[in-house]
Amino acid sequence: MIYFYDGTKEAFLTALLLAFPDEEAVLSSGNRQLTLGAETVFVRTDRERAARAEARLLALDKDCMHDLDLLLRSGMPDRDAVALAYFKLIAARGGPVRKMLAEDAVIAAQECMRRVSFEVHRFHGFVRFLESASGALYAPISPDNDICDLLVPHFRARLPQYPFVIHDVKRKKAAVYDGDHAFLAPLERAEIVLSASEDDWQKLWRKYYQSVNIPSRERLKQMRGYMPVRYWKFMPEKFSDGS
Amino acid sequence: MISEEKLKILTESAKYDVSCSSSGSARKNAGGMGNGYVSGCCHSFTPDGRCVSLLKILLSNDCVFGCRYCPSRADSDVPRVTATPEEICELVIDFYKRNYIEGLFLSSAVHRSPNYAMEQLLVTVKKLRTEYNFHGYIHVKGIPHADAGLVHEAALYADRMSFNLELPSEQSLKLLAPQKSKESLLSPMRQLQRERLLFRAEKRREHFLPAGQTTQMIVGASPEPDGQILRLAQDLYRVNGLKRVYFSSYVPVVHDSLLPEKAAEELREHRLYQADWLLRFYGFSAEEIVEDDGNLSSDFDPKCAWALRNLHLFPVEVNRAPLEALLRVPGIGVRSAYKIVEARKFTRLTFEDLKKMRVVLKRARHFITAGGKFQGTENVSAVRGLLAADDRQGRAEQLSMFSDAARSALTGEL
Ligand code: SF4
Repeated sequence: MIYFYDGTKEAFLTALLLAFPDEEAVLSSGNRQLTLGAETVFVRTDRERAARAEARLLALDKDCMHDLDLLLRSGMPDRDAVALAYFKLIAARGGPVRKMLAEDAVIAAQECMRRVSFEVHRFHGFVRFLESASGALYAPISPDNDICDLLVPHFRARLPQYPFVIHDVKRKKAAVYDGDHAFLAPLERAEIVLSASEDDWQKLWRKYYQSVNIPSRERLKQMRGYMPVRYWKFMPEKFSDGS
Repeated sequence: MISEEKLKILTESAKYDVSCSSSGSARKNAGGMGNGYVSGCCHSFTPDGRCVSLLKILLSNDCVFGCRYCPSRADSDVPRVTATPEEICELVIDFYKRNYIEGLFLSSAVHRSPNYAMEQLLVTVKKLRTEYNFHGYIHVKGIPHADAGLVHEAALYADRMSFNLELPSEQSLKLLAPQKSKESLLSPMRQLQRERLLFRAEKRREHFLPAGQTTQMIVGASPEPDGQILRLAQDLYRVNGLKRVYFSSYVPVVHDSLLPEKAAEELREHRLYQADWLLRFYGFSAEEIVEDDGNLSSDFDPKCAWALRNLHLFPVEVNRAPLEALLRVPGIGVRSAYKIVEARKFTRLTFEDLKKMRVVLKRARHFITAGGKFQGTENVSAVRGLLAADDRQGRAEQLSMFSDAARSALTGEL
């Protein structure tokens, strides 16, 4: 049986209850191609059942909802299967499994969570803010995983005086900090009027980036390993502006 | 706003300093901008594969000293520029706000005199902290021969300071950096370590170099063997409490009859860093790694070389060996060793399990058993050949783990 759900935590927990006794269960939140002949169920979120499932799981492993949150943010195509197997194992073993590092389900889940957390860490460095005329900061990003709201606490702690928007342009949503509160909002496109000096600071940054490089020790492969090309789109040091 | 030209000159003169790390400080944002990030954070990577974390810049390249290897030395004919403290502060604030950088690494040539140069560094960082209300990471270079009072005050504002040892022996310093002496570099390091311990005893460690001290030496410009260099590094860690000793392969930027014509081999720097990791994270001593007057092997990484000299200690059984013994297995790094220790609590590990756990077995299999099984090669010279070939191949394709780059490198597998 294939269980389709909408990718939210509640729907996942509802689906988990349905799928649990089913050995052959496949869980999917994507636009998976329907396998011919396979039976499918569209899981409708049942908040009450989800809450009960959550309470039961928390009694087995008090940190498991944190894991679920990370897993459901993953952009990996098999993340639903990974999350299902991981939670089935928690239920089967009746307790935390995260240290059972030779278990396939744990290896896969750890890897999936590691990628999400690692991308958050990377984006603490790779986010590039543009200064708008009002002084608010705007950063477009296009991460592999659904992480824009996870980036907020970091920047809020260091830039409390600056309202900012971190815009996931791929998922069309934005994490907003208005100087007081932080929230998530759908956002298709943003129109930004840049501050008068924005361009000059970007030029200086490019100059710095060029000057600090040691050309005789070129290691492009290493650079791309640490800073994959797909992230360059919004990094001014990677724009070629002919200046 | 500082001019592009000035920024270029002051950056180009600072870029050979290897350190760019922003780790080790949990400084809080006290009502302004910025805070520390304990694990450090890379903001970009340059085409040379290095991490850009801090804005690494000189306040001035106008020098009264004459270090032979340095393009800024007094008698060289280069354009001289000096930035004002305000120019640096503005640059830091506007770069930081846009998340280009994690903070500042401020250094200077010996402008006018050691005290004048140190004072200008102090004025700049003090301004940045008190007037610009900046609480991000600051690393300040210490100027040798500057007054202890100035050095002390700078440390009150900085997260980290470094006096660069430059060369691994007094004789080489005399020859190549005649105005610097070992004492002029070691004595402020000792001073800072003493003061740091006092702050720590008063539970005020965050007010005095929370990220400690580092140093750097050039390798390959002078004749000291690796054994001597590693012993020096070990002393700096053990006696002076340094957080990190950096090695920088000599790159001939200027021509001088006392200096080698050719750049030092990068392999040597790589091996020194590998050995340095063994000192810091794997429980090895310098004496175990290489003899006093010896050099590190070019064929094998230092852990392999050690294991080949100590074959009587192997193989170890992964289901039983203590963590310290696992850490000494070639190819098993800190992360793998930890994974093994955790996983074996739940099951008796087999080679299959190790593979699934992504423990790299290529080198390790000659040195371990799993559930009593051995999958290595018995013949010692065959093992040597395989390990050497693997090392060459690894160096050719693997990302270097030893640049300060990805934080994940902290768990690099040796
Ligand atoms: S003190 Fe020596 S290394 Fe430093 S800038 Fe002057 S000449 Fe160069």
